[in-house]
Amino acid sequence: MSTRVTVAVDAMGGDRAPGEIVAGALQAVDELGVGVLLVGREEDVTPLLPAGGATDGVEVVDAREIVTMHDEPATAARTKKDSSLVRAARAVREGHAQAMVGAGNTGATMAAALLKMGRIRGIARPAIAVPIPVPHGDRPQLLIDGGSTVDCAPEWLAQFARMGREYARTRLGVDEPSVGLLSNGEEPGKGDELRKEVYPLLEKIEGFTGNVEGRDLMHGTVDVIVTDGFTGNVALKSLEGALRAAVALVFGVLDSTPEAREASKVITPLLLAAAAEIDPDTTGGAALLGIDGVCVISHGASSARAIVNAIGVAAECVDTEVVGRLKEAIHAG
Amino acid sequence: MPAETHVGGSPLGPDEVLAIIRERLAEILEIDDAIVTLDATFADDLDADSLALIELVEALEEELGERTVGFTIDDDDLAELKTVRDAVDYVVARLAGASS
Repeated sequence: MSTRVTVAVDAMGGDRAPGEIVAGALQAVDELGVGVLLVGREEDVTPLLPAGGATDGVEVVDAREIVTMHDEPATAARTKKDSSLVRAARAVREGHAQAMVGAGNTGATMAAALLKMGRIRGIARPAIAVPIPVPHGDRPQLLIDGGSTVDCAPEWLAQFARMGREYARTRLGVDEPSVGLLSNGEEPGKGDELRKEVYPLLEKIEGFTGNVEGRDLMHGTVDVIVTDGFTGNVALKSLEGALRAAVALVFGVLDSTPEAREASKVITPLLLAAAAEIDPDTTGGAALLGIDGVCVISHGASSARAIVNAIGVAAECVDTEVVGRLKEAIHAG
Repeated sequence: MPAETHVGGSPLGPDEVLAIIRERLAEILEIDDAIVTLDATFADDLDADSLALIELVEALEEELGERTVGFTIDDDDLAELKTVRDAVDYVVARLAGASS
């Protein structure tokens, strides 16, 4: 990975900020060879650095305000101009960094990136491309939109499909990514009004295979699953809840009898290794597509490992010129 | 007027403000700037939704804030701006307020 990539990190965003965010940023500098701008309150961030001071590849940018999870996204992005989030987005626009990473308020992150970096021409709304792990698969699926744009026009979903397809090419190395529309049935007529209106628009897009259902998530049926941000976010959270319940069920069984506890000594390490494959902390951050710059969103409870992966995704997006390739794909129609 | 409030010359008049709004709005909405007339309504004529207006406000604050220190647009006022003329009048008044 190129050492010239510098990533601006919102050090104050996320449930575990600034501790885990700063720890992850430091690990990323060591492991990935990137530079980071840690944007946040200096008195909170600097003491978390080794020896409480200067570290190679790390620069602290003082920002006095914090965007909270309760802030109204657009208002926060507009009015909290000295927040760690807005200052991180500005750092990219002004060329001090080539990408930004945030684990805080998702809507505000989208708004800050949009307002400070601008939109790709031809894209009405940005969308979050979330990598969905596929057990035993050779690559993840992409769900787009994972929650950036809740209310969507049919044309916007078609734009999401185009962006998702190009992103799958660039990031996942799929030559001809397949695209499915998330709906409540596989037949073309299934779905609400939005799904019915967008279907003929998607039919014009190469790789479109038709509707897919919620059960196709994590199964690799298609490479790119397109949906609106509301449904996408509900699907993601449902998946997360179901996986947690499944884990609780399995470990409950393994603790249910003396024999099961004995067996768990062998099985548990295998299960934990398998679980790592689908851990959101290890599957990487989600890129915000449609922005005229690189912005990667990590989940709110991000650990240091999640931040390392999100910074890695951001740096790869810079190295592979994702934004330029998306522009070309959109302009090509 | 206090010297420090105007860093880019005299306050802008309605025609200059219209030109700036027209240019910025055409960029944001990806439309021909000739469509952005004074009587055009944001919602019906220009198909500009709330996000587009916020992008416009942000762009205006950045551009005009460089000329007039203290120039801001209150988000709560956006709902009252129905036409391009409303926006021009509002911005001219705010610029005058910031410079007084």
